[in-house]
This record gives sequence, structure tokens and C-alpha cells, in this order.
Amino acid sequence: MKSYKELPSDAGSNIIGQVTAQVNRVQKRLASVKHTVAIMSGKGGVGKSSLTANLAAALTLKGNTVGVVDADINGPTLAKMMGVRNATLGYTPAGVKPAVTALGTKLISMDLLLAEDDAPVLWNAHTQKDAFTWRSTMEVSALREFIADTEWGSLDYLLLDLPPGTERLPNVVELVPDLGGVVVVTIPSEVSQLIVKKSVTMAKDVLNIPIIGVVENMAFYVCQHCGEEEPLFSAGEALDTAFQQVILGSVPFDPRLARSGDDGTLYLDEYPDAPASKALMQVAEKVQAFLKKSP
Amino acid sequence: MKFLCTDCDTAMKFKDVTRPEQGSVTALFECPDCFTEIAMFLNPSETQMLKSLDLKLGGNNEAAQPMQMVRSQLETAKTEAMPNEFSAEVSSGGTAEGGKCPFTSVISDAFQEEPERVEPTGPVWSAEALERLERIPAFVRPMAKMGIESFAKDNRYDEITGEVMDAARGNFPTQF
Repeated sequence: MKSYKELPSDAGSNIIGQVTAQVNRVQKRLASVKHTVAIMSGKGGVGKSSLTANLAAALTLKGNTVGVVDADINGPTLAKMMGVRNATLGYTPAGVKPAVTALGTKLISMDLLLAEDDAPVLWNAHTQKDAFTWRSTMEVSALREFIADTEWGSLDYLLLDLPPGTERLPNVVELVPDLGGVVVVTIPSEVSQLIVKKSVTMAKDVLNIPIIGVVENMAFYVCQHCGEEEPLFSAGEALDTAFQQVILGSVPFDPRLARSGDDGTLYLDEYPDAPASKALMQVAEKVQAFLKKSP
Repeated sequence: MKFLCTDCDTAMKFKDVTRPEQGSVTALFECPDCFTEIAMFLNPSETQMLKSLDLKLGGNNEAAQPMQMVRSQLETAKTEAMPNEFSAEVSSGGTAEGGKCPFTSVISDAFQEEPERVEPTGPVWSAEALERLERIPAFVRPMAKMGIESFAKDNRYDEITGEVMDAARGNFPTQF
């Protein structure tokens, strides 16, 4: 009796061929993207999406063409933060035309596809029972389509804003083998740094992805009256030594930054002299410098 | 996955696939030598996994359409998310049939459920209950409807009324 390897094909389904076609589609689209960068934190609530939105704006202000993938399929926020929530996606045989901010940054996000504010991401299924067995796969397929089927055009930078946790990064690496590196976001709290360390290990040691650097978000608070810097977190935790070696910048907490995110306005343009704006521009410069040096 | 006709020692070929019934797909394979057929049943989870991967049993000779998986499988998508630009082109070709995505019927045809069989003995909906059903958010309505009907059958109700809905309410996270 013939063995598995002796049978010529999988009875005609050509599953490997179908998967290869999906991979080729991603690679073809990314051929016109110079650098792809993942933004991750491991922990939620550290301002990762806010940083992504502002990093994208900073890179765009520096004359780059920038695209952003909101890879947080279930908790998409970037369309609102980048002021394009009401955008209608264009659709052509060549791909889906992304939302474009007033600055020219391109964005694709699940939020642009959902019917209502309170509509969760709900996939077609005979039953939602046992959805844990397939839901994550569905999300990765969605992410693949976001990357492959969006008409990005030529980009200098494509930023991928990952959801909290470490599980999505391996998926991204499979989709984007030439990932330029990872920007890790943390806040000055022991809890955050404990979790973020795991993300760094996953990226650096498990997946061999370059760590572009760490951004310390909400690092301190600048008094709007006297300009004095105060720690925002009670202990004023010092950044972990391992993180200090690759720090890209410390972004102070600024209520106006949060408000800009809510309003979808451009903080960097409105408050160019604010300490947070300067820190964000510095982060963008260091990201550029890192990727310029990388092969 | 490969299949062997043990009588002929020949690789079996894909023959046909049915649309899901109760979430389960059936694929038929045939021996090219003796024409023996076998049926492979995918349970709902396996069927769903195949959908999630956007893969098709029996191969896929159609050109991939932009975001075809998301557009055909996202239940909670807004209808205007993908506007008319391409729909118009497709319509002129005579293949689009409207709906939220001009390719939905093509893309996911193999995964669309067979129309539900009408069971004459099943519970019927009263006008009041149907009105209440319409007030349930659209994106959870199909699930709620299925759950209420299942509850009514299990409890031997012939008609789904407001009282039956109230009784079933405790079984669902969505209020109606």
C-alpha cells in the first residue's frame, strides 16, 4: 500500500498552493515598502496606539510616506485617533484604498469596516460556541488581508500596531519575514516592565527580530503652570537597566495628547513645542536612524 | 490530507463538496480506477477552521479578491464599508448581485449554509415576538433567533410568544 509521501497530491485541493498564493500576495504588496515596523507592548493601556499614531505623524512630517495597519483586530482605535473614522474605503480590483489622514498617512483598520460603534468583531459561523478554536486564525487571516490587499503604494514606513500580548508578533513575523524591527512601549511601572520584558524576549531571543528600541510613555508629568517635571506614577519607577540601553525616548504625559487622540487631531502640529512633541519627534528620528543602518 | 483507495492502491481525487449543513461540510472523493466514492465529513469546528484560513476544498482557481475573507465573513461589517467603485465595474459585467460585497456569493459560496429546511412541527413566531426580535441589534439577531427557537423546541412550545422570549432570555447575554 502506498504511503503518504508516495501519493502525488492532496486529492486536488492543493492546500499548499493556496497558502503559497496567500504568502505571495503579501510579499508582492510589501515589495514597495522600504521598512516595516511593529509597535508592541505586551501590556495594555500603556499608550501604544497613541504612540503609533503620533510616530506615524512624526515620520510623515519628516517627509516620509507612511502607512499604518491597526493590527488590533478586536480593539481597533487608530481610525479615531488619526481622525479618519468616517472615511469610506475605496475598493478596486487592485486592492482596497486605505483611509488617508489630513497629513497623508494611510491607515487600514477593522474600525473602518464595522457597522456601528457598539458592533464587536463577529465572524460568520454556524455557532459562536467553541470560537476559541478558530477565532485567532480568522484574525490572522484578516491581518494578512489588511497587509496584502491594501493599496499602500510606495511607502517608506509601514507601522503595525499590535494588540497587547506577545501572541500576535509570531504571526506578524510569518506574514512579514523582513520585519525591520520592533518598537516596544512601556510605562514607568514595575508591572508594565515585567510584562514588557516578555515581549522583548519573544522578539529578540525567540523570533530574532531586531529591537529598534523602547519608548517610555507617560514617563513624567510636566506642570503646565511652572514647567516642573513630576513623576506620574507614585513610585517614579526607574526604567529597567536592560531597557535603558535601547531607550528611544521618554514621552511625558500630557492631557492634550489624550484629547488629540479623542478628537482625532494632530497633536504634533498643534503643540509642536510641547515636551511630548519634542520627545515624539526624537523617537521618530531614532527609528529612522536605526532602520537606515540596518541591512 | 490525502486519500488512498486501498483496493486499487490509487490516490483518490476530489469530486465534490456540499455546502455546510448545521455547520458541517461533506467532501466527496473518488477513486479514478474503480470509481469508489468516500465521503469525508468535517465537523463545524473543522469547517470553520477552513473558512478562517480562507482555503477551499477541491482547490481554488478563482483569482483572489481584495480582502475577500474579511468582506465575506465579517458579520458586523457596515454595508458601505466597501463602496460602489468596484461594484459598478462588476455590475457592468453582470456578475454582481448586490449585497454588502459584490463577491460574497462567489467567494463564500462553498461555505454558505444550505437554506434551512422548514419543519412543519417547529414553533412559529407570533407577530409580537417577531416585533421584539426586530429590536435586537442586527449583528446578534441571527444568533438570538436560533437560540430562542432552540429553547422553544426543547421546551415543546408550538408558538414563540413574548412569554417564551422572556423565558428564553436568561439563556442569552443579549437583552431583548
